[in-house]
Amino acid sequence: MEAGQIIPPGPAPQVGDKGLKKDALGFVSSLVIGVASTAPGYSLAATLGFIVAITGIGLQAPAVLLVAFIPMLLIAAAYYYMNRADPDCGTTFSWVTKAMGPSLGWLGGWAIIVADIIVMANLAQIAGLYSFLLFDWQSAADSTVAVTIVGVVWIAVMTAITTIGIELSARTQVGLLAAEIITLALFAVVALAKVWFGDPPAASVDPSLSWLNPFAIDSFDALVSGVLLGVFIYWGWDSTVTVNEESRDSSEGPGKAALLATVILLLIYIVVSYAAQAYGGPQQLIDNADDVLSVLGEQVFGSPLDKLLIIAVLTSAAASTQTTILPTARTSLSMARAKAMPKVLGDVHPRYLTPHVATILMGVLSIVWYVGLTIISENILFDSLAALGLMIAFYYGLTGFACTIYYRRELGRDLKTLVLVGVAPLLGGLILTAIFVKSIIDLADPGNSESGDSWLGLGPPLVIAIFFLLVGVALMLWWRTTADGRRFFRLRPQVVDPAIASGARQAYVDRELRND
Amino acid sequence: MTDPRPIVVGYDGRAGSQAALAEAARLVEELGAATLVVVFSHGVTPLGGEVADLEAAVEERGRAVLQDAVDRVGDGIPVETELRGESSADGLVAVAEERGAQMIVVGSTGEGPIRGILIGSTSYKLLHLSTTPVLVVRAG
Repeated sequence: MEAGQIIPPGPAPQVGDKGLKKDALGFVSSLVIGVASTAPGYSLAATLGFIVAITGIGLQAPAVLLVAFIPMLLIAAAYYYMNRADPDCGTTFSWVTKAMGPSLGWLGGWAIIVADIIVMANLAQIAGLYSFLLFDWQSAADSTVAVTIVGVVWIAVMTAITTIGIELSARTQVGLLAAEIITLALFAVVALAKVWFGDPPAASVDPSLSWLNPFAIDSFDALVSGVLLGVFIYWGWDSTVTVNEESRDSSEGPGKAALLATVILLLIYIVVSYAAQAYGGPQQLIDNADDVLSVLGEQVFGSPLDKLLIIAVLTSAAASTQTTILPTARTSLSMARAKAMPKVLGDVHPRYLTPHVATILMGVLSIVWYVGLTIISENILFDSLAALGLMIAFYYGLTGFACTIYYRRELGRDLKTLVLVGVAPLLGGLILTAIFVKSIIDLADPGNSESGDSWLGLGPPLVIAIFFLLVGVALMLWWRTTADGRRFFRLRPQVVDPAIASGARQAYVDRELRND
Repeated sequence: MTDPRPIVVGYDGRAGSQAALAEAARLVEELGAATLVVVFSHGVTPLGGEVADLEAAVEERGRAVLQDAVDRVGDGIPVETELRGESSADGLVAVAEERGAQMIVVGSTGEGPIRGILIGSTSYKLLHLSTTPVLVVRAG
């Protein structure tokens, strides 16, 4: 090579085999993310009591958790097959755009972002509260201002870590999850051991296999109400599928990890709810429905080990704050690259190479929403959680339908394809739709809300959900009028490539959305 | 005496790496190296979602940065570029080994030790990982 000759940066091929697309995430890490973003410790602590409290359920709570698992498994199948066809994008946003057109796809992406922002407020609240409980600082824990400040700090720290700390994020996450699961396991073992061999409190009940039998619940209505609550404690496993890296196994690995994550969650929930019920008895769970675990922790472990369960819930909320910011920022990055959102959201930071604009924006929006709601009323904060259920049901359901629609021409291939790719996701979609409709009916009644307020004759959770839907539609209509938006909304629905449906492992990266 | 083995330089467009690039270009001429290999290397954290899109965004950024490096070096020095998907230190070490480089040049912006631990200091890691000699250039 002569001196003076400049070889320009090579075009794409250089990147092909040794470029950025490298297998960086193993199966175990996928799994960790799926389980961590569900925040099992916190989810169970905040939900179990309310399920037990439903008239007609009582000790059958584990059965409810088992039934609630079914629609999640069906939707996980939809994620698995859609990820196989299109591992390169913003999950629900991109899949629904492909299968059902850009408008529904856009709203699916919007629902994910809104759900994440809403839940951030709640996680921050828990993280703030438990930070004080950990140090027995009751007066601070009782102060809304103090809890809110610490909650905001938690969001800010997690946003900062997500923006700068590439390696730090991964390490933080594994550490937090390990602390959470070990504590929950310890709790279950000690509680059950005390029930069987020790001297349990008077209220304790011997665990029975019949707790798992959903047919022992007489009232179908009670079962539906329980499942409504139970479904959402599984929310979060889909983060695993959104981790669809360009490794050789990207089309299979994350999908399998998602399926396994739901099963692991099921096991955690069944075992811990058995232990909690057996040790404390149903009445105690009902009395402490806001947080069943820390109260039981005191009795099961005694001081100072009772702090362990506080750590479990705290780490659970903190880990989940991070696993919520990460995918939200990346969903908006994905939408920006598909020209469905402003281009700036797709920018990466020159030093850290993370989507810093999207990440910081999500952090700021979460803080604004959290502080704003707390100022209006803390009860509204809890009401917004009920609204969250609607968004999750919306985008999970949409993903289920998208799978069946996207694969519709291939369903006749064989019975297995028909059942797993067609019927299961469709059934999941229908169940989520039923949950969606039932929630709307329930939430329309102001009496069912935490605050008990009536806004425009409706319960606040429903009003919050409708508000976000309207904001979404307004933003979407505005975006349609921009040059980028016009291109995005011209996309037409497609069907799956038959080669993919047949399971051929060819590299199929559909770049049309971005490169046309 | 000249050494034709290539010189590898890490470049991300920031001030420290600009100083490294300038120094590396000077050394190529002085030592008579056959090529200057400019490397942009970054592994994308897979944690939590939409990795492929993030990778594509980082890749675009990398291409722009590498083009910028080529423009900066200007005529007279043979330049090649490499875009890698490992962490910066791993990518530099791999390129240097593959090409039998005589040295790796990187910039330092003078990040303190704590900051280095938090965000990962490339020059620090390189010193421990690399069997190729490493030259760290402090930004002006």
